[in-house]
Amino acid sequence: MNQTKQNPLKKLLSIRGMGGALTAFVGLIIIYIVFGIINPTVYSGQNIMNLLRSMSKYLLIGIGQSYVLITGNIDLSIGSMAGMSAMISATMMANGVHPVAAIAVSMASCLVIGVMNGIMVGKFKLPPFIATLGTMFVARGVAYMVNGNRNTEAISSGIGKEAADGFQNFFYYGKTFGVYNTFWIALVLFAVFFFLLSKTRTGRHIYAIGSNVEAAKLSGVNVVATTTKTYLVSAFCACVVGLILCGQANMGNMEAGNMYEMYGVAAGVIGGVSPLGGTGLLLGTLAGSAVWQTLENGLNMIGAQVGIQRLIIGIIVVCAVMLDVVVRSGMFKKKK
Amino acid sequence: MVKKMNETIVLLEHISKSFPGVKALDNVHFELRSGEVMALLGENGAGKSTLMKILSGVYTRDEGNMQIFGKECGNLTPKQAQEMGVAIIHQELNMCRHLSIAENIFLGREKRKGIVLSDQEMENEAKAVLDELKIDLDPRQVVGDLPVSKQQMVEIAKALSFKAKILIMDEPTSALTAKEIDDLFRIIKDLKAKGCGIVYISHRLEELQHIVDRVTIMRDGQYITDMNFKDATMDEIIAYMVGREIKEKFPHVECEKGKKVFEVKNLNAGRLVRDVNFSLYEGEIVGFAGLMGAGRTETTRAIFGIDPKDSGEIILDGKQVVIHKPEDAIQAGIVLAPEDRKKDGLCTKLSIRHNIALPNLDLICNKLGVIRNKKEEEMCQQAVENLKIKTPDVEVLAGNLSGGNQQKVVVGKWLARNSRVVIFDEPTRGIDVAAKVEIYHLMNDLKKRGIAVMFVSSEMPEVMGIADRIIVMCDGRITGELGAKGVTQNEILARATQFEKKIAAKG
Ligand SMILES: Nc1ncnc2c1ncn2[C@@H]1O[C@H](COP(=O)(O)OP(=O)(O)OP(=O)(O)O)[C@@H](O)[C@H]1O
Ligand SMILES: [Mg+2]
Repeated sequence: MNQTKQNPLKKLLSIRGMGGALTAFVGLIIIYIVFGIINPTVYSGQNIMNLLRSMSKYLLIGIGQSYVLITGNIDLSIGSMAGMSAMISATMMANGVHPVAAIAVSMASCLVIGVMNGIMVGKFKLPPFIATLGTMFVARGVAYMVNGNRNTEAISSGIGKEAADGFQNFFYYGKTFGVYNTFWIALVLFAVFFFLLSKTRTGRHIYAIGSNVEAAKLSGVNVVATTTKTYLVSAFCACVVGLILCGQANMGNMEAGNMYEMYGVAAGVIGGVSPLGGTGLLLGTLAGSAVWQTLENGLNMIGAQVGIQRLIIGIIVVCAVMLDVVVRSGMFKKKK
Repeated sequence: MVKKMNETIVLLEHISKSFPGVKALDNVHFELRSGEVMALLGENGAGKSTLMKILSGVYTRDEGNMQIFGKECGNLTPKQAQEMGVAIIHQELNMCRHLSIAENIFLGREKRKGIVLSDQEMENEAKAVLDELKIDLDPRQVVGDLPVSKQQMVEIAKALSFKAKILIMDEPTSALTAKEIDDLFRIIKDLKAKGCGIVYISHRLEELQHIVDRVTIMRDGQYITDMNFKDATMDEIIAYMVGREIKEKFPHVECEKGKKVFEVKNLNAGRLVRDVNFSLYEGEIVGFAGLMGAGRTETTRAIFGIDPKDSGEIILDGKQVVIHKPEDAIQAGIVLAPEDRKKDGLCTKLSIRHNIALPNLDLICNKLGVIRNKKEEEMCQQAVENLKIKTPDVEVLAGNLSGGNQQKVVVGKWLARNSRVVIFDEPTRGIDVAAKVEIYHLMNDLKKRGIAVMFVSSEMPEVMGIADRIIVMCDGRITGELGAKGVTQNEILARATQFEKKIAAKG
């Protein structure tokens, strides 16, 4: 209405993908307020802390998946890589290996899967759905195999109570400046990947590939390398989430991270990342993962069962995409 | 730096290249000199684009030598070719629609400070190139939001920004407006004076006289000849291209004007279709002339039920028909061969056969909805023959055909069924002289059979030559109707630029 007020908003909205991200933020605030009215403990400091911690996992998964989605591909192996990372690190630590070494080996294994995904999709042009479906099973298979098809013992039984506490505190239970470390980890990685995607050449190329691979290739963009980089980002994020799951449980669970790849898709899509490639902001993914966790948290607090929680989240994902589609086709019509 | 003119800067010898089932290039010779515009001419599928893609590193050759600035070159990547000073504007648009103009122009060679992109710097440089081309666009605008002609100009700006010494333009003008073409020609002349060598591919032979110095002619993947443009008449050039003489470039048949077939009354659909009224009769072709963006395509889309209508009636053979979606139109007997073949006209990943069968499955299938292969086969063979689509067989993917042959498939799939009204939207864009004449003959056939033909085209000579009656549109309104006999370009142009007075209140 007011000229001076409209312009900054317009400018903000002119950033591609900002519309979706802002919608998700608005949705987040509404959801949070509504749940808080029903049950005021939603507003309590402890609940906020818990919320921030539990959304961190989804944010990390969402970042990895968003990188891949923006190129127009998908990574189905993320959840399995998280499980693999949890199992490898837990098995090693339960057998007395130093946490740093355990982390390094987990990371290396995940990155190997990431490179495989990148080469299959980027170089050999396998459909990403199929290629990463394969590595999804491979990584889960490895997760089962590392400890002989059993969950691991407590990691403290191998590296001792002190070291185990250190590991668990670093990834899950400890706090810095009053906020759980898990959230700090996610926030730092968010900042790094946000910068890489929006301010560097590789980031630009990621959008270009998602928009028009052929044009990108003819402009001299290295499609294989860039695609591989996106899969490395998702592998990296999956690995970190696996370590968080390991820290949380004090052991390795063979089913850890099950379905997380889809949670990543949901976080991105709620935040306006297009699963068809070319658009999306990590800010949206941040909002998307927060929406999701606030919903889950709020529904928990008002005593809703898991079944109804899932159902509502499913509806929200579809509505978010629908909103996006409707807004976009509406915009096109005005242009004509 | 000393400008050297008339020195060979590109020399291609004995170039051959095969694709599965096609020998696209066979022992081709090509030479480009500095400071000249070389027209590369030939029919659709002659191999022009393929040859230029080899020069610009998109394809690798099977055989032959390639010298650029006297240097023997092996297989190049697009990037290496760029570094050697070769820039190409591809026949099809190659833009990332989600990215901005500046981002597209600098794609693959982004400017950075450290590892951080310097967007400001790139935007400024992009702006400078756009200004040089007299394109009034903000480099931060997203390319996907621009009309096709502007996207094409961005493509041209991108190629210019390389400051290449060898510039290849593969049908740059097929989607441009007259003013943009003028700006392009001015730039081409500048570049020529600076000693650049320019390869210019076009099927609009009339425009060659403004810029071209020499021509190289190809036919069926082979080098035919090269010569100074001035040393040959246009008819001779065409004869070299198609291997025979073309007597009539715009064959016109006289028919008795019959009864009214089709009528559009008070059609409104968005800003570019405002109160459109016209009728089509048996035995005539009605040309729709106008500038790019006059609302002709929008009118056809509204009639065909692609875009929603705000109001209006459509009457076929005296009866009102209700069209909400293309299916309704097809059922009623109205078909549309659309303008943008890649986007609306073709499934590029399907074979020619599947493309032609697609809108005609109701005719091809039996009562249970099972496809009758023999019928499908017949229909496709017929279409390939009628339109002389150049392909080894109908199983070839439509996307692998040369541009003009793709266009023929788009037209062919609609002619395979009997209709009452056939709407052609720029049917001859990007197709060669001989094929154009074939399409005109097809339209004349329809006319003789009493089918109403609506013919949208931005090329004035063909509207004037083929149509019996010309309707001119400007800014969404019909601004004039003329008999085609004896009409002049200026009469059409005057009506095509008859914009509403700004002061006239909207209502
Ligand atoms: N990628 C491809 N795969 C298979 N065949 C191809 C491919 N590209 C081109 N061809 C074939 O090579 C031949 C030459 O095609 P090309 O595109 O060079 O023709 P052109 O002279 O540019 O025609 P137009 O004027 O229609 O653009 C055609 O028969 C075409 O079908
Ligand atoms: Mg071509």
